[in-house]
Amino acid sequence: MKRLMTSKGLFGGTTLAVLAILVLLPLVLPSATLATEIVIFAMAALACNLLLGYGGLLSFGQGLFFGAGSYLSALAMIHGGVGLVTALVIAIVAGAVIATFVGMLSIRRTGIYFVMLTLAFSQTGYFLAYTLSKWTGGDNGLLDVPRPAFALFGFDLVDLKGAHAYYVFVALIFLGVYVGARRVIDSPFGSTLVAIRENESRASAVGFDTRHFKMLAFTLSGAVTALAGALYGMLINYVPLDNIAMAMSENIVIMTVIGGTGSLLGSLLGAGTLVLMGEILSSIWPRWPLVLGVLLILIVVFLRGGLWGGVESLIGRMTRKDEA
Amino acid sequence: MSEILLETKGLALAYGGFRAVDGVDLSVKAGTIHSVIGPNGAGKTSLFHCLTGGRKPSEGSIVFAGTDITHRPAHTRVGIGMARSFQVTSLFQNLSVKENLRLAAQGCDGDKALAFWRSVAAGKAHLATADRVMERLGLTAKAETAAGDLSHGQQRVLEVGMALCGEPKLLLLDEPTSGMGIDDIPIMTHLIAELGKDHTVMLIEHNMSIVMTISDTITVMSRGRILVEGKPDAVRADERVRAAYLGEAAA
Repeated sequence: MKRLMTSKGLFGGTTLAVLAILVLLPLVLPSATLATEIVIFAMAALACNLLLGYGGLLSFGQGLFFGAGSYLSALAMIHGGVGLVTALVIAIVAGAVIATFVGMLSIRRTGIYFVMLTLAFSQTGYFLAYTLSKWTGGDNGLLDVPRPAFALFGFDLVDLKGAHAYYVFVALIFLGVYVGARRVIDSPFGSTLVAIRENESRASAVGFDTRHFKMLAFTLSGAVTALAGALYGMLINYVPLDNIAMAMSENIVIMTVIGGTGSLLGSLLGAGTLVLMGEILSSIWPRWPLVLGVLLILIVVFLRGGLWGGVESLIGRMTRKDEA
Repeated sequence: MSEILLETKGLALAYGGFRAVDGVDLSVKAGTIHSVIGPNGAGKTSLFHCLTGGRKPSEGSIVFAGTDITHRPAHTRVGIGMARSFQVTSLFQNLSVKENLRLAAQGCDGDKALAFWRSVAAGKAHLATADRVMERLGLTAKAETAAGDLSHGQQRVLEVGMALCGEPKLLLLDEPTSGMGIDDIPIMTHLIAELGKDHTVMLIEHNMSIVMTISDTITVMSRGRILVEGKPDAVRADERVRAAYLGEAAA
């Protein structure tokens, strides 16, 4: 247990930083809803990071998993009358299954063709949701998505109607996902994923069937992304068609890159930056994505390792100064 | 020991109309260092690709330890005891020496490494293998150095070490000295000779002087076929080998 608490342990180091951020977010921000939105997108970025930062797999299919999680959990609640936990489990399983399928076919190609395949799946999902308007509400979105109380074995335990209560619920799930993701990255699987990113032919030569590893990365990423999608639908009580659109995939990738690929904490930073910028700038200037574009360019060109990489080198410089 | 570990029969690999490997019957005896040499374009590397599964042979068969592996995919050959090194250094450049070797050890378990719920630290056997191989390669002091920061000679040594982590029955080394400085070559020669004591080694080399000192058997290839096969002394004295090599050297 003691080992787990050290900076390299699962519950020490960056996990403590995440815990601190999660506690501070609703206190610093004007609303708990905004804080919840950040945490939900951080979850999606985290899942994208597993693919992009660790596996070196640029997937534009993340929006498909996110949207599928939103729609399927909402439909299960509306038409199936299922509770919160069941709805989330449905999203997780559906996300895992869809992502496994997408991954299975996409990883048959590499490089640009791989990216195009994920993009094609994403577009297919979008038009499927658009076409099935009887179920999804099409362009109007799926309305009246409930946010049931947290219940176990038929007993309502915690009402999540309040913005703060829901924030705590989402934040706890995020913390669980974060610890889980750290374990995944530090596992034989995670280390192999990095090896594949570094040199796939070498990874294959030492005995790994690299396709299996990439596929599992998709499965895990899809499950977490769909969970985030489901939580988002419950947050805004609505599933807009945008949830499954190309722009969603883009946003998730941008958050991951801005925050820093290959760092889990970076995903929280990236999601926070993007959501906050949207929130603050959009009220001042409707053309705010222009600023986002400039920021993205600056970070990609000048800040290798994204915002978190910048923070890390800053900390490094400061501690070195202290020693001097 | 006279048991045959690896045997090919009528092995051929054609690129369109060109037969890079043209009917090779090769037998590698267990416990020996068996070298395949030949001038540029003799088909050594193509033969090597067939043996490691990088290329599918057009004809013929490959039998390893009693199993027909002709059509087995490359990554599954590790599990049955074949390991290879690359002619062009192929390492995990940004990862430490120790992590490179640990991953190579982990690779032998194949899909067991899909365990995403377990910690890497729990894989003690892999860490132990990495330590042992590092010791053997003389790279222990460089354990935490990124592979890409090693000198070229050390990278070549690590390249061989990667193959070693699988505790293979057969080590397939593709020009391990390629690009090495003249000072580093004796280190590699010595390492291969050492490895030959515990492993069966099949060595593809361009440099004839290296293989003469450490090989038990030498196969000389030319134009996709076996020209001569025998002990170093016999090969050295063979007129046809001289012609193939000196012809090239004179040109």
